[in-house]
Amino acid sequence: MNEEQKQAYLEDYKQEKEKGVKFYPDIIYKDLIVAFALFLLLVGLAIYVGVAAEPPADPSDSSYIPRPEWYFLFLFQLLKYFPGQIEWVGTVIIPTIAVLALLLLPFYDRSPFRHWKKRKVATAIMSIVVIGMVALTVLAAVSTPPQEEVAFATTITDKIVLGQDVYSIHCVECHGAEGEGGEIVGVEGLEGVFLKSISSQDEMYTRSDDTFFAIIDYGQPDLGMPPYGLGYGGELTRGEIDAIVNFMRYTWDDRVEIPEEAAQAGAIPELGPNEIPSYEVHIEPIVKRYCVSCHRPGKKNNNYLMRSFQETMETGDNAPNVIPGDLNSNNILMMNRQEIEAGGPMPPTRALKPELIVIFEKWVLGGAPETAEEAAALSPTEEPTAPITEETEVSP
Amino acid sequence: MAVKVVNWLDERLGLLSIYNLVFDRKVPKVNWWFTLGSASLFLFVVQGITGVFLSVYYVPDPEKAYSSIQYIMNGVAFGWLIRGIHHWGATLMVIFVFIHMLRTFFMGAYKYPREITWVTGVVLLLATLGMGFTGYLLPWNQRAYWATTVGTAIAGTVPVVGDFILRILRGGNDLSAVTLARFFSVHIWFLPVVIVGLISVHMYLVVRLGISSEPKDEAE
Repeated sequence: MNEEQKQAYLEDYKQEKEKGVKFYPDIIYKDLIVAFALFLLLVGLAIYVGVAAEPPADPSDSSYIPRPEWYFLFLFQLLKYFPGQIEWVGTVIIPTIAVLALLLLPFYDRSPFRHWKKRKVATAIMSIVVIGMVALTVLAAVSTPPQEEVAFATTITDKIVLGQDVYSIHCVECHGAEGEGGEIVGVEGLEGVFLKSISSQDEMYTRSDDTFFAIIDYGQPDLGMPPYGLGYGGELTRGEIDAIVNFMRYTWDDRVEIPEEAAQAGAIPELGPNEIPSYEVHIEPIVKRYCVSCHRPGKKNNNYLMRSFQETMETGDNAPNVIPGDLNSNNILMMNRQEIEAGGPMPPTRALKPELIVIFEKWVLGGAPETAEEAAALSPTEEPTAPITEETEVSP
Repeated sequence: MAVKVVNWLDERLGLLSIYNLVFDRKVPKVNWWFTLGSASLFLFVVQGITGVFLSVYYVPDPEKAYSSIQYIMNGVAFGWLIRGIHHWGATLMVIFVFIHMLRTFFMGAYKYPREITWVTGVVLLLATLGMGFTGYLLPWNQRAYWATTVGTAIAGTVPVVGDFILRILRGGNDLSAVTLARFFSVHIWFLPVVIVGLISVHMYLVVRLGISSEPKDEAE
């Protein structure tokens, strides 16, 4: 712009100002409306959307798919087009040019025109850049595979419940469902090893949470305990190990009280007097806690898997192990400590509590129903399928 | 009485001249797009206030950062609200500052005599992105950790000095307590000071030069 154009602009601006409004109240008023709307929006987002919970940082878990904050996604995506040797074109050259172009804009764009109709090139370039950024962002969002859901807990109750689940899968085969230890049976490489209890007062009073964490994470290889932490070749995240430690502490240490909610969530549902148990309500919690640690893939179990109803009913070299209505089913016999063709007593080291065996027997005898509805339909005392008649309403 | 108080104060503080200079001035009549600047400022103030509250309980230490945020979310009265606002405020601020820049560009408002206002604005945009980048690590969760790992790794691709920059950003070869301490410090001290300073210059210029008028499609 030359001097003349500058003067012309200032003159024009002066006129605009004279035709204009007062900063207070006119402009301030609009600003306040926008600020207020933004505030409501923020509070609304905080209340109704919130902040997504995330598991704690785990440097050993390299399976996590890194995703930058959304407003950096376009850059992230851009880099994919500059692989290998020319990567620095995407990381250095393009961003530097873009920032400099933006920063120095008023010094190289010296035309006096302000309306877009007289600045078509500038308008077009910026529009293309913005559309490009939006497109790259969308591309990045679409092409990034979804993160595998990782189980993690934030409250103590959730940690205890998660901890029990993880413990039941990974620890029970050697340490037992109550941490009681004893002779290891049926675990490859550790057959016949005798384990001390890990739930005793001795153990609980003399070992800190950090010690438990380290033992699970790093293992005690000389004693036969393999490492479980991802960082040492195991398969547990730090959050999962932390959950196990919480489960152990709150369940076995008699100096701390387990939160009511956690105790309820961990309890095996009770059975009514004439109720027929169902897999989903009664059997699954028992199987999960006492059986799955060995009855999952990769373990010595005659290919009998128990991770679901389907597997429990159908898998195994000696299948079927559950025959509805038959108390001579393999499972029942073995739970009652009998040595049969399909194998020895189950669980190998210590019998299930009698009341749990009773639930199992009632379930098999009642027809081994999967869902609670099926079990209710099989129950002898109630007739839920019968329509409600006046008689039933009158009867006490 | 009220008049007396105002007069007494004005004699000493010169409030009336500020009022005349800043509030009682004439400006061109403009549309709603011109509220983006004040909206950005408002969001910065909100981020500042909520950020100060969060810093009461937040502990910038890898062992404690995650649980300190758990505590803010579950233990502190309205902590979840403050964090929620700070979290979403960051996103909104990036959007608003960016659109504010676009508006200024498309209306040619960066031209004479507002070149310096534009330059400070661009630096403010970059500083806002810097706030987003540094703040993202602070919760020390998986998302934060890996995003920052990848983000800082980008610096490592710069020819010759890349490795050096990477080590400055991370305070070592890997993300560690040092990285968290650096990001925290940059997030709550360095960048806010830069932003406050630049906003002051930016706003001084806006008041001094007046807001730009809507460009006219004149055929003069």
